[in-house]
Amino acid sequence: MITDELYNTYQSNLLSGSRSACTQIVADLIHTDLSIKDLYVHLFQRSMYEMGTLWEQNKISVATEHMCTAITESLINMCYPLIFSAEHCGKKAVITCTPGEYHHIGARMVADHFELHGWDGYFLGANTPTNELIRFIREHQPDLLAISMSVYFNLPNLKTLVDKIQREYPDLTILLGGQGFRWGGTDVFQSGDHIHFITSLDELEQKYLIPKRHDA
Amino acid sequence: MMPDTNPFLADYLMHDSSIICLVIAKDGTIQYANTFAKALSGKNLQGHALNEFFVDFGVALDLHGFLNASTEKSLVNVSTSADLPETYFFRFYDLGNSILALGESDCHEVGLLRKNFLELNHELNNLTRELHKKNAELRKLNTLKNQFLGIAAHDLRNPIGIIMSYSDFLLEELEGELNDDQKHMLETIESSSEFMLHLLEELLDITAMESGKLRLESQKTDLLGLIRLNANLNGVIAAKKNIAIRVEWFEPIPEIWIDAHKIEQVMNNLISNAVKFSLPGTTVSVNIFLSGDHVTIAIVDQGPGIPAHELDQLFKPFQRTSVRSTGGEKSTGLGLSIVRNIILGHRGKIWVDSKVGVGSTFYFSLPVKA
Repeated sequence: MITDELYNTYQSNLLSGSRSACTQIVADLIHTDLSIKDLYVHLFQRSMYEMGTLWEQNKISVATEHMCTAITESLINMCYPLIFSAEHCGKKAVITCTPGEYHHIGARMVADHFELHGWDGYFLGANTPTNELIRFIREHQPDLLAISMSVYFNLPNLKTLVDKIQREYPDLTILLGGQGFRWGGTDVFQSGDHIHFITSLDELEQKYLIPKRHDA
Repeated sequence: MMPDTNPFLADYLMHDSSIICLVIAKDGTIQYANTFAKALSGKNLQGHALNEFFVDFGVALDLHGFLNASTEKSLVNVSTSADLPETYFFRFYDLGNSILALGESDCHEVGLLRKNFLELNHELNNLTRELHKKNAELRKLNTLKNQFLGIAAHDLRNPIGIIMSYSDFLLEELEGELNDDQKHMLETIESSSEFMLHLLEELLDITAMESGKLRLESQKTDLLGLIRLNANLNGVIAAKKNIAIRVEWFEPIPEIWIDAHKIEQVMNNLISNAVKFSLPGTTVSVNIFLSGDHVTIAIVDQGPGIPAHELDQLFKPFQRTSVRSTGGEKSTGLGLSIVRNIILGHRGKIWVDSKVGVGSTFYFSLPVKA
């Protein structure tokens, strides 16, 4: 369990750029019975959301935000030996960010959760060019595409991207999510059989990653 | 002192800005440094020579040259308290008796550096993720390989054992009735099947060890007795090559907690290897001594020695050195890897010293206390 006290210690170390102190906290947590999801949600996600708020309120600089992101990414790397040891279920997902979107940690955490549940989670990273994404989908034939939008201003880019993908792959399930949707934007898309909005890792797990029991 | 200027601007330049502001005497002495310059350098700077702050890479500091180029920014490296020089773009203004120097960092350059750093870091993290993913896949493939090898070796062991027994049986039963060619053929079948059986047993051992299935059944054991017995058994084979095996110990060796069967396997492997690579007429020595809380065993041969560049590979599976056995004996390339796993399983150590033309000494040590 991550107590508020531990979280606050972690957060202040992260803000001051003390990578070694953050590394020690995460290393200790990995050796407890804390699940990877809880570590991601209650430490990494919580701190990055708080960082985003501080940045929006001009309380930290862009450079500090970038430093915290870089440290967080290195800490996420520590979880990989646990994440990639899951048995594969044969399903594939491509996870990417909206064109122009450089905030990629959320998408990476989603990709890791697919892996954690035995999917092949292909993470294409930030600001993936549309043509590259379409080529990748053609080559890998995923069961699902997940696109993250962290900044609301990238909504037009996301809309253009989704329209183009739907023209190329009308049957491909597309999941949309990210902090950018806090300010709305879901109405721009025709939610239906193939476009779904995901608001949390919990929802992603419940709806797509945990196999459903089919009662007789 | 700061030259006269707008008081707000002067106050900003002196105390709050991130611009280096210096007033320099014509002889190169710093007369004034603002708060930022002092913080950056970690020094008071006032009264210091300019070349204590400006990093001068061998070329004499040319203040007049700077002044003559005052319409353009001069690129200057300054020393910092972090021991990492930083580059600033300076303008120099002639104040008559002194020179005003204003230096700023290039925000475009900083922006470019940060953008590149972020991209590189992002790329590094993506590659790290891919690397972990590939490693996990390789681990799974390795487990599958071990399972496959284990099943194959297990299922092949019986038929090969039968071939070996029947060829041995025929050699005994048809003694005197076989011509030389037939006898040679049966002997080849027997020795080949014996080698294959040995290989399969080592494959089973190595796959079990790689799967983390090395099980030790430790019991208090007379290590000296075990070594002497093993040396005697190997002495029979060694005698055929006119090689003597000598066991020596220099103090009482206590009983220790080990898996006797596994350590016997280690001794058998190391002594038979020593015999395999020794020249006729030489001696293989087995020396046992106590060193602190460990008992160390050294198996010394007078063979051709192993080239230094091959020593690193010696304990890895399927690695063979360029050294050939002296009696044409075969080698599976698995023995030393198995030996290493057994010793490490006992929380011991294994190492080798070898000199080409002199011989090799294989050492292993085991803790005296379990």
